[in-house]
Amino acid sequence: MRIRRCAILILIALSSAFSLGQGGAKQSAGQSIPVGTFAGKAEELLTAAPVKWSQFSARRVALNRTPPLFDTDEPSAPELSLVEVRAARAAGRLVVQLSWRDATNDTAVLAKPPDTPPETRFRKVPTEADDRFFDAAAVMYPSKHQTGPAAPSLQMGDAADPVEIYYWNSARGAMLMQAQGRGTTRRTGQGFPASGGYDRGQWTVTFELPDLPAGTPLAFAVWNGSQKDRDGRKYFSVWQVLE
Amino acid sequence: MSKHQYAMVMDLNKCLGCQTCTIACKKLWTDRDGTGYMYWNNVETRPGLGYPRQWDRIGGGWRDGQLQPSPLPTMDDYGHAWEYDYEQRLFEGKRKPVMPSPTPESGVNWDEDVGGMNADENYFFYLPRICNHCTYPACLEACPRKAIYKREEDGIVVIDQDRCQGFRYCIKACPYKKIYFNEVTGKSEKCIFCYPRLEKGEVNACAAQCPGRLRFVGLLDDPESPVHRLVLVHKIALPLFPEKGTQPNVFYVPPFNPPKRENYGRSILEDPRLPLDYLVYLFGEEVKDVIIRLEAELKTAQSGGRSELLQLLIGRDAETRYRIRPQLVQIQL
Repeated sequence: MRIRRCAILILIALSSAFSLGQGGAKQSAGQSIPVGTFAGKAEELLTAAPVKWSQFSARRVALNRTPPLFDTDEPSAPELSLVEVRAARAAGRLVVQLSWRDATNDTAVLAKPPDTPPETRFRKVPTEADDRFFDAAAVMYPSKHQTGPAAPSLQMGDAADPVEIYYWNSARGAMLMQAQGRGTTRRTGQGFPASGGYDRGQWTVTFELPDLPAGTPLAFAVWNGSQKDRDGRKYFSVWQVLE
Repeated sequence: MSKHQYAMVMDLNKCLGCQTCTIACKKLWTDRDGTGYMYWNNVETRPGLGYPRQWDRIGGGWRDGQLQPSPLPTMDDYGHAWEYDYEQRLFEGKRKPVMPSPTPESGVNWDEDVGGMNADENYFFYLPRICNHCTYPACLEACPRKAIYKREEDGIVVIDQDRCQGFRYCIKACPYKKIYFNEVTGKSEKCIFCYPRLEKGEVNACAAQCPGRLRFVGLLDDPESPVHRLVLVHKIALPLFPEKGTQPNVFYVPPFNPPKRENYGRSILEDPRLPLDYLVYLFGEEVKDVIIRLEAELKTAQSGGRSELLQLLIGRDAETRYRIRPQLVQIQL
């Protein structure tokens, strides 16, 4: 019952943000993301200074806040309004950089347990806090290469059109996820090259993706830890298209 | 709804507050990285703060078929771990007193044996707590990952560690705050009712180690099991906070004994040692009827009669207290 009501709420919110494409689940794409070309290797862009990235033109993409997903959720007003996206092809890879203003740097250096089994150690790594959530960001694109005006459902794809989600968490690192519809997101166990940093009120996160053809739909998401964002409680963009 | 339901009855009249159950559980299940503050089994003094503190007033559970809101307990509510600065005293030759740091302000059993006042007399009792493996688990409903499930064969509620992504909606939803977040693994954990032991025909570690012999374990739907007899036949064991709507499968024989000295020979209900209001707060109005039934059984025994119920509650041997049926609950694959 609750799920159905949430689904209706989300549909209302999404349909006000953009029009639904043919077949209901299919969604039309928004503006285009310019793609530059970088002569060096992709990993150089991961650690490149902002001045190097400024050669690539940026697209400002509006962020939408998901409506409350559950009846018991605390309300939270939108605090972030847009994410700036830059993209470049480098040596057969696509490197995407997201940057957004965020007044709070919600991250932590999590202690890594030693390789020895815990039962052999007197001291165990403690849980420092149980109620903090970390800033994070993600890039999503269709698993089946497709170009054109229609894209998979923005709600984590759909059964016919699964999606790849490149998720970066400021405390837990980069992890590749896959999904085919809301509630089906799963971690693949694989990581991917990524980097991120917070400087003077701004997050800048760089993702190394496989090379994607022009016309590929891309969507972006940002989680604000101080607003207890996790799961679908986040900021999201509608589909954009790679130039 | 599960085919069978394992349940536990704890006789609060017999709990010594020795924490042997807590240690048995801790050594077996939560002696790992990230689990230091976790007590899948804890024993708290009542009345008192509980663990995490004030868990009974935070929120969660069901009302009119809807999940109720609740904040996440914080580390302030669980209490921060502290260290003693032995180094300076023993090895650096400094003469400062050895003090804990950070200054302890809360913790598990922070208010042990403090209790409350009933008129001018102090009173308290111990309340051992595990996950209630509820018939209608609020945690299960709250999980958007469907990582929590109730085992069809025996009703035990568990968190699939592969599916869990540490969103913590379950912790908010649980009105008993018996789920803990492991920040090292990034996943939530809870009591598993020792299902690997039950599957081998062994009783739960907390029950096996209990010197007070206050725990009874079996299938609620097995007419031969002690829990079936205590809960459904004799009707002298009640769930904690029934109004939270989750239908716990852990039941308590309410504390009612001994009577006040000056009231010897009179009914406990006339001038109870433990304020009835507090027992009603924990177990609901039905607790009064339970105490009347228990008192009647006690009087029968004291006047030379035989009480099958009291013999069962004494629980002299493991065969009386436990009936573990791995064959019955085995799923046919």
